[in-house]
Amino acid sequence: MDTVVGFLMAGVGNVDLRRKTNYLIVDSIKQIEDTFKEFTTREDIAVVLISQYVANMIRFLVDSYNKPVPAILEIPSKDHPYDPAHDSVLSRVKYLFSAESVASGRR
Amino acid sequence: MVVDHETPRLENGQTDKEVEENANVLQFMDSMDAYLTLIHSLSSTLRRGWLELASARHSMGASRVNTVLLDHTSHPAATSLLVTQDEGKVDSGKPHFTLCKWASSSNENSLLGEKQSSQDKLHPQLRHRGSTELYEEKTSSENKASREVDDPVQKERSKSLSMFGTLVSPKLRAAQLSFEH
Repeated sequence: MDTVVGFLMAGVGNVDLRRKTNYLIVDSIKQIEDTFKEFTTREDIAVVLISQYVANMIRFLVDSYNKPVPAILEIPSKDHPYDPAHDSVLSRVKYLFSAESVASGRR
Repeated sequence: MVVDHETPRLENGQTDKEVEENANVLQFMDSMDAYLTLIHSLSSTLRRGWLELASARHSMGASRVNTVLLDHTSHPAATSLLVTQDEGKVDSGKPHFTLCKWASSSNENSLLGEKQSSQDKLHPQLRHRGSTELYEEKTSSENKASREVDDPVQKERSKSLSMFGTLVSPKLRAAQLSFEH
């Protein structure tokens, strides 16, 4: 909640004429999934900031996302510090390098 | 008669393809290093912002710093990102992001505090570690221009904080700056 309030103070909040916002304070996992799918298909959103704790709730969705825009950035939350082991970008790098090492070992 | 066309090798025994691959790997590692550095910086700045927000809530009261007060009326974002593609290259896969801070509808021509950050910069040329920073001295006219630019920025910042009341704690302003950074 504090993360959303902070970024709204920085001026990134947008409310359209239908009162649809470009931010969400988490409620249920279903709502998070639906909002993630909505934000990643909207044309007026370039970057999606998501708390890593929330991203872990929908990890399969976040990891399967592979478009460059909107870019997904996992950020720490107040109660859950950043864990590089769960970051989707670093997970892909780790997978890439482990695949490379397996492939090079087979040569 | 069989003619064997060997792949041309450089003096150190590497082929052009291997050299290119090594350069790409090095560039990739540099990008990952930059990513981790930025994540660390982001975590640190966010921690400062949360602490300042908590201090503001302590001094102003929980009822004055609350999500209930968020502005739900229709309004555009004052800070936005402009995304462009490389010119002449459709579907190049390398979008460019330009941050436009506090650019409201009333002053669209003054894009304040622009920071360009493209995916090209996530895959930069090989970084030269240990490079020196150059500082430019501002002239007096530049200082005056920056002061003139700062006034609309301050107005936009105050407008953003207005949902918490007319008089807000300095800690709340500090939190705003932290989240802005």
